[in-house]
Amino acid sequence: MKATGAIDFDNLRVIAHDNRKKILDMVYFGGSGHIGGALSAVDVITYLGECVIDYDSEERDKFLLSKGHAVPALYAELHHLGYIEDGELQTFRKINSRLQGHTNLHHMPLTDITTGLLGQGLSYGVGMAFAKKLKNSRDHVFVMIGDGEMHEGQIWEALMQAGHYKLDNLILIIDRNGLCSHQPVENVISIEPLRTRLEAFGWNVKEINGHSMEEIHSCVSGLNSQFGKPKCIISHTVKGKGISFMENNGKWHRNVPNEEEYKAACEELRLSGEETI
Amino acid sequence: MKHYPYSVPKDVIGHKLIEIARDNHNIVVLSSDVSISTNVEMFHKEYPDRFFELGIAEQSTMSIAGGFASEGFVPVYVALAIFSNGMTWAQTRQVCNAGLNVKIIGTHAGVDDGQDGSGHHATEDIAISRVLPGMTVLAPSDKNEVAAAIEAMVKYTGPVYMRVAREEQPVIHSENCTFPIGKAEVLKDTGDDFAVVFEGSALKQALEGFELACSRGKKGKLVSVRTIKPIDRECIHELADSVDTIVVVENHSVLGGLYSTICESLAGKRTRAVIKSVGFCDTFAESGSPKDIKEKYGLSAEQIIKAIG
Repeated sequence: MKATGAIDFDNLRVIAHDNRKKILDMVYFGGSGHIGGALSAVDVITYLGECVIDYDSEERDKFLLSKGHAVPALYAELHHLGYIEDGELQTFRKINSRLQGHTNLHHMPLTDITTGLLGQGLSYGVGMAFAKKLKNSRDHVFVMIGDGEMHEGQIWEALMQAGHYKLDNLILIIDRNGLCSHQPVENVISIEPLRTRLEAFGWNVKEINGHSMEEIHSCVSGLNSQFGKPKCIISHTVKGKGISFMENNGKWHRNVPNEEEYKAACEELRLSGEETI
Repeated sequence: MKHYPYSVPKDVIGHKLIEIARDNHNIVVLSSDVSISTNVEMFHKEYPDRFFELGIAEQSTMSIAGGFASEGFVPVYVALAIFSNGMTWAQTRQVCNAGLNVKIIGTHAGVDDGQDGSGHHATEDIAISRVLPGMTVLAPSDKNEVAAAIEAMVKYTGPVYMRVAREEQPVIHSENCTFPIGKAEVLKDTGDDFAVVFEGSALKQALEGFELACSRGKKGKLVSVRTIKPIDRECIHELADSVDTIVVVENHSVLGGLYSTICESLAGKRTRAVIKSVGFCDTFAESGSPKDIKEKYGLSAEQIIKAIG
């Protein structure tokens, strides 16, 4: 885990805000991508990149973005950390780019996992958590899944396995933005009562506002000193967060803004950026 | 037929993994509630810290293997082929897509879990594993060759799938045999009328067919392909140029399996040999002893003789 002093929450908010603009640019200039789920996840991903995952170390905490379609949020943060160059962002999803449409170990090893099919990331986290215990490592494995991803049966296999083996170095973050590809998760197949279900599977469960840097920090740092169970953070978020006409609108799960929409989104982010600063 | 000692190839798995794990501390073994059937329960007893019983959850187990490999371990996932292979294609694809060093063993190859019926038969595992980019597919025959193949598989870096017979097989290899990945083995050579080419779990039928043909005056070759992918093109092309008939024998569907692999490797090449298949013809079988199923559905020495003509 990164050695951090006092947390500058205002600075974290500025970085997350910049990352939102990069997500917008990646999808707009790349002509493809999932913008809504990236915008819901970006605050947590920014926090983990800034305060937790030490990407310069070989043996380190891992972050698995199982909802790999939200990868623009991770690329944005990796760009902020200096692992992706300025011009590269506009190559997102284009031929010969390192910035694949989902996380990919061959093209970008720092993403820690190859995804493309939902439901598998938590199991990778279980395997890595076992491995880190075998190594007597104190590192943690963070896995982010979408709430709609919980419809995948493999997630529940992994929840059982991690609970059974009490993998307390495994931290699952559920990006609870409430929407599947275009409609409410609860209308498709209900996953509630989510917290009760997770606790019944042997998990230590916390709930936060996933757009509050203070709440994210308090929860993640607090879980470090809790043992004996795998840990889950239900991160309540808004799909499309930060661009008003995309918020809670299933249309923006996977949609590319036209020029007019792009300009409107840029202007909105410019104004909210001034507020953030 | 010459008398050979017989043994069950899968029974060597646990012993060999224990032997390798003594020096290789990165080996971990994963199971889906079939550790007794697959002979890895002894590994569990010998190395309890490096054995992971993950329950009847094959998809998650395959991805957990991917997680271990990502952290530098060499996970060996052992289950019946219909489970470790048949239940996990999407997860195995992702392992291959990432190029992870995951080892998969599928026991009870083909119809070797006969009595459980068609739901338990693994007659498509070669087909669905060999199409995955980066995957290596092994089909060793008797117990000694299976042991050598496990050693080769662990030394090799990258995803590997290996199918292993549960039915008794004649022991034709010595205990100190080796398994060079990618090299076929010409076991017998008496002439150029025919060649019987087989994957490991069809050794018994291939050997019987070869010896029966020879007893009827034919002269030919008996070739164990051993590695389905990468196929030994040089060996196959030489055979196709030297014999009149190649009979491909497999405890597998003839669609997508060894017959398909050999036909693909010869496509576009003008050869002397006609290629014929002995295996399961696009069908689900039924409950019965593996021997009875193989005879009824066409995997037998008699069918090999017919194909040789």
